[in-house]
Amino acid sequence: MNTLLLIAARNLARNRKRTLLLGGAIAVVTVLLVLLTSLFNGTQASMLRNATTLSTGHVNVAGFYKITSGTAAPVVTEYAKLRALVEKETPGLQSLVIRGRGFGKLVSDASSQIAVVSGIDIAQEANFKNILEIVHGDVNRLSEPHSILIFEATAERLELKIGDNVTLSSQTYRGSNNSIDCKVVAIAKPLGMFSSFFAYVPLQTLRELYGLDQTTAGGIQLYLKDWEQAEQVAAKLRIALDKSGYRVMDHMDLPYWRKFDIVKREDWTGQKIDVTTWMDEDPFMKWTLFGFRALIVIIFMVLLAIIIIGVMNTLWMAIRERTREVGALRAIGMQRHTVMAMFVTEGALLALASSTIGVILGVAAAFALNAAHLKMIKGFQMVLMSETVTLLVNVPTVLISLLVIASVTTLGSILPAWRAARLQPVEAMHSSN
Amino acid sequence: MHMATTPAIEPIVHLSNVDKDYKLGAVTVSALKQVSLEIAPGEFTVIAGPSGSGKTTLLNLIGCVDVATRGEVIVAGQDTGKLSEGDLTRLRLNALGFIFQSFNLVGVLDAFQNVEFPLLLQKKMNAAQRKERVMDLLNRVGIAEYAHHRPGELSGGQRQRVAIARALVTFPRIVLADEPTANLDSVTGNQILDLMQELNREGTTFLFSTHDPHVVSRAGRVVRLVDGRIVTEPEQQSPMSHT
Ligand SMILES: Nc1ncnc2c1ncn2[C@@H]1O[C@H](COP(=O)(O)OP(=O)(O)OP(=O)(O)O)[C@@H](O)[C@H]1O
Ligand SMILES: [Mg+2]
Repeated sequence: MNTLLLIAARNLARNRKRTLLLGGAIAVVTVLLVLLTSLFNGTQASMLRNATTLSTGHVNVAGFYKITSGTAAPVVTEYAKLRALVEKETPGLQSLVIRGRGFGKLVSDASSQIAVVSGIDIAQEANFKNILEIVHGDVNRLSEPHSILIFEATAERLELKIGDNVTLSSQTYRGSNNSIDCKVVAIAKPLGMFSSFFAYVPLQTLRELYGLDQTTAGGIQLYLKDWEQAEQVAAKLRIALDKSGYRVMDHMDLPYWRKFDIVKREDWTGQKIDVTTWMDEDPFMKWTLFGFRALIVIIFMVLLAIIIIGVMNTLWMAIRERTREVGALRAIGMQRHTVMAMFVTEGALLALASSTIGVILGVAAAFALNAAHLKMIKGFQMVLMSETVTLLVNVPTVLISLLVIASVTTLGSILPAWRAARLQPVEAMHSSN
Repeated sequence: MHMATTPAIEPIVHLSNVDKDYKLGAVTVSALKQVSLEIAPGEFTVIAGPSGSGKTTLLNLIGCVDVATRGEVIVAGQDTGKLSEGDLTRLRLNALGFIFQSFNLVGVLDAFQNVEFPLLLQKKMNAAQRKERVMDLLNRVGIAEYAHHRPGELSGGQRQRVAIARALVTFPRIVLADEPTANLDSVTGNQILDLMQELNREGTTFLFSTHDPHVVSRAGRVVRLVDGRIVTEPEQQSPMSHT
């Protein structure tokens, strides 16, 4: 009934101060929520972009080769055949790169450190070149044999400059030790907490280190059009590979370099394929995002609770002030449910109007913050793999926020409205003013 | 009493041996005792009596906003003791009109919208029919020119005129009013009574309460309550004599 809406709107307008106070609070919470979720989306996007450049695709098809049951090499043999199959079986595939996987020690005259060493074909790595910020040297020189790219922290620790040699040593998969000298051709700016733990050499150099032939690779990193499909795509690929006669490993929630010991103890030999997602390969990022999301949920719950209490209080006051009016309406024949609808309408109208205003302000604020290119606090820069605050306004998230806030606050008006509906019409007969 | 009335006229209100008790903790207050009463169409009846005698209680029972402890209350042919809350509400909407001592209009609606409100609850008329009916009544109570004023912008007398129009808009069988003039000065109160009397002559049945002897003197029939009981006065031998 339009009149109920009219009554609700006019009562809100009449109690201007109260309405502005509560409506303002709802709007502020909405702004906060829009900003927080946009920050989350922005962070997630930049973390994912960086992480999937460094060490993982959205989905990875790799595996282990066991010559004897006591060894484990992160190697797939005849990768070309595997690649053809994966290209055919991956829905929504955007691009893929072949990577070599290694794990060893970098040794210089000054010092040494453990490193996850990837073998790459720099000619195929457009994204990699885009995202890494090279401070010294030239990333394209990774096409030269026995070259290496390291991050600044590694360069400092090992006291290395462009042109210096560093020894890369590792246990080969037959059990003996092997080492290769590589020339530093590029030094990159750090990209997240653990980037100093990574180094890059040409794929062929990595094969030499491990005594592998041309048909081998560490794995295939797949990039999807929609990264959110990663888990489904991985599951699909496991089935497809299994059907094509590959032995496929059970899903394990770990990055490959933490699987060596597990695979070594397993009692099988030959090739097994392991399909993983970015969440498996970068658990740190997974947990960072999870924590961030949990934080948002908690903050949001607290704010919502405050708002619900505010809505209830405000409606209580409104009902107390209008007891006689409500009693009169009940007396002249308004049913209980209509009384309830009258007050819920008031709550809903306030909630919807103020959260809509909040969304508009929040989105505007997000764009303004992006335009301002705010620098992140140092600690966060590392964790979140980004130097500036980037907010990504995502329409579905914003609409969901709007819906949640509006409906939860409306819900807050139901209890007082219900109590109002139980008011006796005799209240109206009381002569007191 | 008057069990044998003219068979053609069915009373709008029929109470027989009605008691109403209020429980206040351990104490039971007997607000009405053995009340029997009939109101026929066309009456202009006053319930008189001292404060605390049960006038409001009686109007509440007849107005279907409260139910009797014992006895039978029949309003517009319905035994109110047997109706659900929803049915009582519907009965109030369709058969009764209310005028309150403190007007009780909806503050944020203008005079027109206040009068229209019961019609909206009834959902029987379309917008054009409603407009015609509401304007008719606003004209009849003499405040058509204030149709778009809100109660806050009207005087007490004007507000009570709006309330009367609201009570009449649904063509109720009877209009109930608990001390409708108590919040008005005597001049305005008299004007309101004049209006009610005119409307009664045009066919509306009124039942209202008052303290005011002057108001009592204008009634067609007086029901006098003392201590929760109806007392019959010598001049009240024939309650329906005014018709
Ligand atoms: N809700 C209630 N709870 C308890 N007692 C009540 C209640 N309403 C009325 N009473 C008692 O019932 C008796 C009749 O009250 P009622 O209000 O009907 O009198 P009244 O004739 O309308 O009085 P007044 O002229 O002052 O309005 C009084 O003793 C009153 O105290
Ligand atoms: Mg009274």
